[in-house]
Amino acid sequence: MAATFASRCSRVGRSLLGGLSNSSPGLFSTSHELTCGNFFSQQQRTFIQMRTVLKVVDNSGAKKVMCIQALKGKKGARLGDTIIASVKEAHPNGKVKKGKVVYGVVVRAAMQRGRCDGSEVKFDDNAVVLVDKQGQPIGTRVFGPVPHELRQKKHVKILTLAGHIA
Amino acid sequence: MRLEKCWFCSSTVYPGHGIQFVRNDAKIFRFCRSKCHKNFKMKRNPRKVKWTKAYRRVHGKDMTQDSTFEFERKRNRPERYDRNLAENVLKAIPKIDKIRVTREERHHKNRMKGKKEKLQREAVKELEQSISLVKAPSVLQQDPSLTLPKIKVKVSQKQSEENHAMEE
Repeated sequence: MAATFASRCSRVGRSLLGGLSNSSPGLFSTSHELTCGNFFSQQQRTFIQMRTVLKVVDNSGAKKVMCIQALKGKKGARLGDTIIASVKEAHPNGKVKKGKVVYGVVVRAAMQRGRCDGSEVKFDDNAVVLVDKQGQPIGTRVFGPVPHELRQKKHVKILTLAGHIA
Repeated sequence: MRLEKCWFCSSTVYPGHGIQFVRNDAKIFRFCRSKCHKNFKMKRNPRKVKWTKAYRRVHGKDMTQDSTFEFERKRNRPERYDRNLAENVLKAIPKIDKIRVTREERHHKNRMKGKKEKLQREAVKELEQSISLVKAPSVLQQDPSLTLPKIKVKVSQKQSEENHAMEE
């Protein structure tokens, strides 16, 4: 338990990181101090930017993917945005091989996203579904819950493949 | 629009409030405010946290089973809109609330029954044991009552005149 709280103590300032910086989060400890007595300081979840490793939740063959560019968004990608990524880990026989540059749609993000009714949603991890340039998913199945923000972004195909819509 | 219940404290979450956390097994946790959310992240069990409704229900502080709770059960099948039905429901809601509140008060009264007698007994016992703290034993022998003598204080008339001046 102590280890997880120690990791939560490293806070990353949202305003300082652009989409292009590569420095480690440790350098960006902000001037905001921890409130005294608040040992359990919460983790600040931020955008999906260059070097972010995401989980792949379809059966396209890739397992882990690293973001190299967030299309749209100066600070990074959020829930429902598309990214360009490089495959870092893949299943041995799959449609997508290691080292390939692919497009992906973020279907789960640990950073909360505001809904139109004013509430906020957040997921447990960062996950992506690989798509082609036209936006059609490469795989044929999607695992885990997906948000219905995808409907507004016109990723209807992913919604139909999804098992659970959050 | 749907009024949800906070997973931690069981209060209603109105639209525009709170955070919804979706776990990877597709279970959705709704929180009314960051207090509940932070307690959840600390992995606290709401049944052990004193100020939550879950604790109160488990420990018998609030009533658990009542027919008025049946009205608030979650229904997943949408009802066809019927104006009369909607009107009747809107009229019934405050009535049901009133009934629920009276029943809860009755439950609370039942729970607190016997408290007055218990306090009285404890007070009597304390007086018998520790009257020596306020009354010297020699005085107690002369006057063996457990009450202190009443002291009368005379209030002068001048004070009431001062108050009149302040009011004006």
